[in-house]
Amino acid sequence: MIMKLLATDFLKIKRKGLWFLTILGPLGVVLLQWVNYELVPGRREWLLQRSDDDWLFYLQNVNSFTPLALVLGITILTSLAASIENETNAWKQLIALPISKMGVFLSKFTVLAFLLAIASVLLFFFTWLLGIYLDLGAVIPYAQIATFSFYPYFASLPLLALHLWVATVSNNQGIPISLGVIGFLFTSYSFKLPDWLPWKWPSLQNQWDEPLVNVVLGICVGIILYIIGMLDFARRDVK
Amino acid sequence: MEYIVETHHLTKRFGKEIAVNALNLKIPRGEVYGFLGPNGAGKSTTLRMLLGLMRPTAGSIRIFGKDLKKERISILRNVGSLVESPSYYSHLTAYENLEAMRKILGSPKEKIDEVLDLVRLSNAADKKVKGFSLGMKQRLGIAMALLNDPKLLILDEPTNGLDPSGIIEMRNLIKRLPKEKDITVLISSHLLSEIDQVATYVGVISKGKLIFQDSIKAMRNKAQLKIRLKVSDANNAYRSLLAKGIKTHYQDHIIYLYEQSDEAVAAVVETLVDEGYSVYRVEEEHQSLEDIFLKMTAGGDDR
Repeated sequence: MIMKLLATDFLKIKRKGLWFLTILGPLGVVLLQWVNYELVPGRREWLLQRSDDDWLFYLQNVNSFTPLALVLGITILTSLAASIENETNAWKQLIALPISKMGVFLSKFTVLAFLLAIASVLLFFFTWLLGIYLDLGAVIPYAQIATFSFYPYFASLPLLALHLWVATVSNNQGIPISLGVIGFLFTSYSFKLPDWLPWKWPSLQNQWDEPLVNVVLGICVGIILYIIGMLDFARRDVK
Repeated sequence: MEYIVETHHLTKRFGKEIAVNALNLKIPRGEVYGFLGPNGAGKSTTLRMLLGLMRPTAGSIRIFGKDLKKERISILRNVGSLVESPSYYSHLTAYENLEAMRKILGSPKEKIDEVLDLVRLSNAADKKVKGFSLGMKQRLGIAMALLNDPKLLILDEPTNGLDPSGIIEMRNLIKRLPKEKDITVLISSHLLSEIDQVATYVGVISKGKLIFQDSIKAMRNKAQLKIRLKVSDANNAYRSLLAKGIKTHYQDHIIYLYEQSDEAVAAVVETLVDEGYSVYRVEEEHQSLEDIFLKMTAGGDDR
C-alpha cells in the first residue's frame, strides 16, 4: 500500500516546484561560496591565508549556510506538500479512499525526506566540484565533504517531522510558516542556542565537538516526533 | 429488506454542541436515498462519519453489513464519494487527477477513460483542472467517485454550483446508476426539489435528529391537498358546519376541509348553500413537499 501512496504523492508534487527547490537549495549554498571566494579579486588568497587546511576552512564556510538552507527548505517543502492537499481540501477525498491515515502521513514524510536526501547528495557533489574548481589542494577530503553534506540532513529530521505535523494539521498555513521563520532565526544564531534545541543540531555544533551526537539525536528525536505527528494526524477528524 | 447502510444511535458531538443525535439511518439496497435537511442540520457530519473521515462520539455504523470501525478499508474499497465542494489537484490534468486516485485504488487504467467518458470530460482529459468551470470540476468529482466501481455512492450536495443543464445531467446520471450498475446512492441536499426528482427513499434530518425516514411515496402522501372554502360570514358558516357534525378548520375567514373526497366536498357545499351562505370559491391548495419539509423541520416532535 505504501508504494501506491508514494507513487501517488510523487505524481502530485509535479509542477509544484518541489523538485526545483530540491536542486536550488544545495546549488545556492555552494554558489554563495563561489561568490565568497571568487567575486572579489584577492579575497580567495586572503581566505586561503586564514587557515592551514584550505579544504576544511572551505567546508566550514559552506556549512555556515547549510543549516539555514535546510530549515528554510523544510519549511517551504512541507508547506507546499500540505498546500497540495489543503488547496481544495483534498484530504477528505484522500482519507475516504481505502488506505490507512498513518500510511498517508508516512508517505508524505517519505517523499519529503527523499527530496531532502537528494538535496544532500547534490550538496555533496556541488561542494566537491567547487572545491576542485577553487583548487584547494590535491588531497580531496571525501569523508569530510560527506560529513558536512549528510550529517546536517540527519540532524534536521526532527524539524522535518515537526513541520510536517504542524503543516498537515493546520488549516492556516500561516502557522507552519511562522514556525519556519522562528526556526530560521534560531538557526541563524545557532552558536548561541543551548545544545538541546533541535534548531541547533543541523549546525553540527555541540559542547563535545562531536557532530555524530547531533546525528544520533536527530534520528532518535526525529523518529519520536514523527510518531507523535502521525498518531495525532490519524486521530483527528477530517473537516 | 437488505440495508446497505445501517447506523445505530449514531452521535457526533463537537464540544457541547450535538451535531448528530442518535441517528438510525437505514438505506435499502438499490435505492437512491435522499438525505434532506436544512443547512447545519448535520448532513455533512453524518456523511463524513459514514466515510470514516470523522469518528462518531457514540453509536455504530454498518456498511455492507460490516462494522465501519473494524473494517474501514475493506468497506471504503466499495464506496465512492463526493463530499461538498469537489476536491482535486488544480496543477494536475483531469487525467492525472484520476491517475493519482487509480494508483491507490488499483483499478485498471481503462477505467479512467471510461469514467471520463461517462461524465463527458474526455475532451478535457489533458487540460489542467485549474482552468475548469465549476460544473466540469463537479463532474470530475463524480468521475473520481466512480473510479472504483462503487457499490455505494455518497454524494454531498452534488448539484451545488451547477448550471441548469448540469443539474439535469447530474440528475439523469444519478437515476441511471442504481439500475445499470447496481449502485446504491446516498445523496444529500438542502433542497427538497432536488431530492424529489431523483430519490426513491428519503431521510429528513433536523437539528441533528432524523425526523422522517421512508419511501418518497410515503412522504408524498403527507403532501395532501387541502380544500379551502371562501364563503360569506365564514365564522358562522364554520359553526353551522360543526353543528351538522362536519369537522373543518377555520382560519382567517377561510374554511379548510379535512375530508377531501368529491362526495365530502359536495356535501359541505350543499350544506352551506342550504344554510344560506354564499360560496365564493372552492379551491385546492397544493401543499408542496417543500411546505411539508418546512413543517417537519420546524416541529418534528409530533411525528
